[in-house]
Amino acid sequence: MAMPSPPRQETMAPHERMGAIMMGQKPDRVPFSPFIFGFCAKNVGLPVSTVYEDAEKSFFAQLRTAEMYGYDGAPLYGYASYGGWEFGGDIKMPRSRWEQAPVVAHYPVESEEDVDRLELPDVERAGSLPISMTFSRLQEKFGMPITVQLVGVVTLVGELCSVDRMCRWMIKRPELVHKLMRKAVDHLVDVAKLWVDTFPVERMQPFVGDATSANQVISPKQFEEFALPYQKEVHEKVLDMGVMSMFNHICGEQNLNLPFWRQIPHGRDGVPGILSFGHEVDLTTAIEMFGEDNIIAGNVEPRLIQNGTPEEVFAACVACLEKGKQAPNYRYMLMAGCEVPVEAPPYNLFTMRKAVMEHGFYD
Amino acid sequence: MSALQERQELLHHIRDAVVDYDEEVTVELCSNAIQVGLDAYDVVANGLALGMEEVGQLYEQKEYFVPEVLMCSDAFYAGLQHLKPHIRSDAATGSGQVIIGTVEGDVHDIGKNLVKLMLEAAGFVVHDLGKDVPLDKFVQEQQRTGADIIALSALMTTSMLAIPVVIEKMRAVNPNVKILIGGAPVSQESVDLYGADGYAETAARAVDEARRLLDLPYQE
Ligand code: B12
Repeated sequence: MAMPSPPRQETMAPHERMGAIMMGQKPDRVPFSPFIFGFCAKNVGLPVSTVYEDAEKSFFAQLRTAEMYGYDGAPLYGYASYGGWEFGGDIKMPRSRWEQAPVVAHYPVESEEDVDRLELPDVERAGSLPISMTFSRLQEKFGMPITVQLVGVVTLVGELCSVDRMCRWMIKRPELVHKLMRKAVDHLVDVAKLWVDTFPVERMQPFVGDATSANQVISPKQFEEFALPYQKEVHEKVLDMGVMSMFNHICGEQNLNLPFWRQIPHGRDGVPGILSFGHEVDLTTAIEMFGEDNIIAGNVEPRLIQNGTPEEVFAACVACLEKGKQAPNYRYMLMAGCEVPVEAPPYNLFTMRKAVMEHGFYD
Repeated sequence: MSALQERQELLHHIRDAVVDYDEEVTVELCSNAIQVGLDAYDVVANGLALGMEEVGQLYEQKEYFVPEVLMCSDAFYAGLQHLKPHIRSDAATGSGQVIIGTVEGDVHDIGKNLVKLMLEAAGFVVHDLGKDVPLDKFVQEQQRTGADIIALSALMTTSMLAIPVVIEKMRAVNPNVKILIGGAPVSQESVDLYGADGYAETAARAVDEARRLLDLPYQE
């Protein structure tokens, strides 16, 4: 290993750095927000499930991990299998050594008849929402963005009736999927309302994660028919409530869906949304398509963060930084392509920070 | 029309009906085939299964996506259900038995379901343990069924670490069982790393790989 040269001096605090890119101003360096959940719990000696089950412990585990690794991303609550529990099914928290996140153990919709019977949840009580609310109170108290999870509509419907069933109905019984989409939108808007009524709206940045809409699962045509109108409605209604910016994790292979994601607003009045992409979407493409009015985040492959050597992780981060720094108005942040794996070697996470310190500064 | 021509034409239509995910027509054609005296096994292997093979290709070419593939699989299974009682017990030339599942901690089962489907279409007897399968269950099922292959699917780097554990458990009780692995983070390298026997990147190729593991002839 070469003798280290003296590190560049950071001249901004994490919130100043994030604030700068939100306003299109030059930060000292590229912000680094890893996208990390279970790892944080483990990092402070807690079971992985804590990060999903216990708002307070989750918040501080994330805060401490950020402190330790010197990254800018603030604590975030949510998980991809959102919806099944909230609408009356069961959730299974990650307990065993191999698990990484909660999963739906019992779907609320298991037959065609269930679709009409499905009721909108009481958003003050249902499923993970009380945990999410406690979490947001901590975000408020600590002066951080308030990030309620409003999962993507396709992912949500997949967790209501199972992805298999949703897929079959898209072809056989499209009206059932439309009905579920309707309920998904109404629910997400209810959640957003509760948050807007509880917190200062200008501090809010809802978190939209969408995995099941990936082209590994559905076609761009199906996206256009079943996702676009509903996803757009959620964003429009939430932005109409006074929210200025949404954070979207557009998971997996979404290349064929990008033209549709472009028709969906992610911010307003010149305030950018944040769009985070998986390693499947090239950052330069993302910047060209969305960089004019959004912050682009991504997209170091999670598999590499867990299984790669530090040299490989470093090189992948540098490649991202080189592309990302071309974004207009400094609107790029370094992030993993999806959750940083729970089993990632700590040194590899540190390596991401190291890459940002050596290659992330703006001259 | 000669009997040969008639056979060809019917099989062709059955293949197309599967590809067009027309369950009703598939069943109707299978029923016609039996009526005109075609061998049920011939209809499965050279009608239904060829249809699924084409579906696998369409999926790889991004012409079809998971919804279309699942609909085709419904047509395929409906046809199969209809033909099964007519298959002579000596006809199915035992392609082998497979136990398949997504490993503990992982609920990504879409890919696993496609692999199962392609294996069944190719004549394998498949025991599907589902998703989030406790690791010991794979070994227990193998012991119960005497299956030749255990096929493990993992979609996350976290759950992928369960693969070598299953392999170790299986080898301890029966070192001859073949282990086939797959899922997005899994690669050919993982085969050596974990001591598995085979890997395939796609469901269609999983069939070739399973045949290779059991020294079965490739289909023409
Ligand atoms: C859809 C999806 C989901 C859905 C799954 C629904 C379901 N019922 O399956 C939902 C929303 C529930 C979900 C949840 C999560 N997900 Co997810 N998900 C995906 C996504 C976008 C697509 C997966 C898919 O279905 N592909 C389509 C199928 C057809 O492809 P396939 O599975 O690869 O299978 C093919 C081949 O691999 C092969 N194959 C598959 N199995 C086998 C087996 C054998 C034996 C063989 C030979 C071949 C073979 O054949 C198949 C067909 O050709 C992937 C993205 C990706 N890159 O894969 C992320 C991805 C897998 N998810 C990821 C993550 C992080 C999660 C969550 C942890 C998120 C969270 N924090 O909540 C949770 C975990 C839940 C759990 N405990 O399992 C990450 C995993 C990263 C990592 N650590 O490795 C991925 C890779 C996203 C990314 N860009 O990084 N997810």
